[in-house]
Amino acid sequence: MGSGFLLRRIGYGLLLMLGVVVLNFLLIRLAPGDPAVVIAGEMGGATEEMLASIREEYGLNEPLLVQLGIYIGNVLRGDLGESFFFNQPVAHLIALRIGPTILLVVTAQLLSIFLGVLLGVLAARRPNGVMSAFVSVFATIGYAVPVFWTGIMLIILFASVLPVFPVEGMTSVRLRDAAWYVQWLDVAHHLVLPAFTLAIIYLAQYARLSRASMLEVLGSDYIRTARAKGARERTVLFRHALRNAALPILTVAGLQFGNLISGALLVETVFNWPGMGRLAFDSILRRDYPTIMGVLFFASAMVVIANILTDWSYRLADPRLRGRT
Amino acid sequence: MSLLEIDQLKVTFDTRYGQVTALDSVSLAMDAGETLAVVGESGCGKSITALSVMGLIPQPPGKIAGGAIRLAGEDLTRASEARLRAMRGAEVAMIFQEPMTSLNPVFTVGDQIAEAILLHQDVPRDRAWKDAVALLERVGIPAAAARAQDYPHQLSGGMRQRVMIAMAVSCRPRVLIADEPTTALDVTVQAQIFDLLNEIQRDFGAAILLITHDMGAVSEMADRVAVMYAGRVIETGTADSVLDAPQHPYTRGLIGCIPSLDTAGDGLAEIPGVVPPLHLLGAGCAFAERCLHVRDTCRDTKPRLTEKAGHHVACFGAQEGWL
Ligand SMILES: Nc1ncnc2c1ncn2[C@@H]1O[C@H](COP(=O)(O)OP(=O)(O)O)[C@@H](O)[C@H]1O
Ligand SMILES: [Mg+2]
Repeated sequence: MGSGFLLRRIGYGLLLMLGVVVLNFLLIRLAPGDPAVVIAGEMGGATEEMLASIREEYGLNEPLLVQLGIYIGNVLRGDLGESFFFNQPVAHLIALRIGPTILLVVTAQLLSIFLGVLLGVLAARRPNGVMSAFVSVFATIGYAVPVFWTGIMLIILFASVLPVFPVEGMTSVRLRDAAWYVQWLDVAHHLVLPAFTLAIIYLAQYARLSRASMLEVLGSDYIRTARAKGARERTVLFRHALRNAALPILTVAGLQFGNLISGALLVETVFNWPGMGRLAFDSILRRDYPTIMGVLFFASAMVVIANILTDWSYRLADPRLRGRT
Repeated sequence: MSLLEIDQLKVTFDTRYGQVTALDSVSLAMDAGETLAVVGESGCGKSITALSVMGLIPQPPGKIAGGAIRLAGEDLTRASEARLRAMRGAEVAMIFQEPMTSLNPVFTVGDQIAEAILLHQDVPRDRAWKDAVALLERVGIPAAAARAQDYPHQLSGGMRQRVMIAMAVSCRPRVLIADEPTTALDVTVQAQIFDLLNEIQRDFGAAILLITHDMGAVSEMADRVAVMYAGRVIETGTADSVLDAPQHPYTRGLIGCIPSLDTAGDGLAEIPGVVPPLHLLGAGCAFAERCLHVRDTCRDTKPRLTEKAGHHVACFGAQEGWL
């Protein structure tokens, strides 16, 4: 596994991030009205001195390219500007919220891949069986149902009918002073419904995809070879077939990660999860541009990192891709 | 009692034309250490015969509808799945036609051989790996220790077939089935693989069921021959007897068809036409439509194997002497 490959991918990733920063910059410039007012959040009440200091800070009196240079310089120093609404540095606001979002998104991603692939493999074992029919129906429903609807249904179910999982927030106030592991369990408990809500659409897709991919692989000559060796069916499915069926699943998982992050925005809102999605949602309503840009920047960074990890996992899964660049 | 006895085997498939009979009353026998060649054009049921012995007929749509397959007296058609698993690879092993696709692309070849060993022998992992390397060396792969770390795509077709052979003999099976082991390989490599199979048989004492189109290989390797056509054995006997005095017009066509670069493959220059699809088989001899000597009896009744010229043939013309 050449480190040259990884370096190159990280290089591309940084280039992409630069693109995002430029886009962010243009977003402000293209928004109607005085950029200083836009940055101030159009909340009204921005005094002439404030606007002047914003113009100074963002160099709005300079030529466009110089402004871009200043903006990139600011970002490089970790300065994403100041939220007009919170009157705090955007970087600080995001630092407080990125953890919960990563927790939610990564849990949902792992949950959907793990359960989806498991369902798909079981379905592929008997293409005409009950499990196969279930996966097809479930996948169709999963595609069709919007994520907030699933969330609201789960809230109704678990808030009133079956109150075993919390439907709101990430922690319980009453456990604030409990031991660390109690707090961890509490977060995990709160995580169940949002993570499952976010996972369910993708879970259905992974189930369908891995069923199709497995069916194709199970017809291969090397699967017959594995059986001819005397391998048991479980070994054939999970050792010989799944590794080969994994590539299309990984591809989709990588592509879906961006969608998952935007899905997290909705789920965080529905379940009042204290993450970046919630912050983005509030900031959009408040036209708090610096915060929106900051969220965009970090969400893009997460997608870029996810893509690098995807490419890297390809090479783990398929030796034929190693040694290529 | 023979080591392996296929007795009146009947295999059917459910297809969109209804149920077809892929193997009909197939009987074959092989003794320990001997080589039985099964020959015939594509689609005549050679692979299905081999897969039946392995218990690997895809079910559904396939089904063993009758007959028995006895390995040292034990009927494999009645064996449990667990028993079949213990048998596969250990007592009966198989090499396939397509070395390019028969190895798993995501595991090293050493791993794949070691897996076969670990499935049937109670040895530690590092021991299995050492055995795998020794086997690779045995089948003529240079720098075996290094090659064991290679993935299949890093090896040529001939090398991969050697790997398959190493894997197949790793547990010293009593029966080795080689299903057209050289069809996909270069002519020069073909000869090397046949030589290797000969050596392996001498060293390991396995009986070989060799499926092939290559009549040259049959005359070099086989003790006995069975010629198949449309799911039936139509001529069988010792290799000498069948090759020297072929009785069935189809066998004569096969032998007349010396493999060369332009006839290698499935077409038979000497016999026009192709094997009829199974769902179109009628009541008579399946070869009737292509036979130059066909008479009315041939179209109405299926000939059965009877003795003629020192071996067995299923042909009215041969039996009644009007060929
Ligand atoms: N999965 C299947 N479904 C239906 N028919 C099959 C299947 N596999 C094999 N057959 C039938 O069995 C016949 C014999 O096939 P096979 O043993 O593979 O021929 P060959 O002699 O070339 O190895 C084929 O002509 C085909 O009609
Ligand atoms: Mg075949």
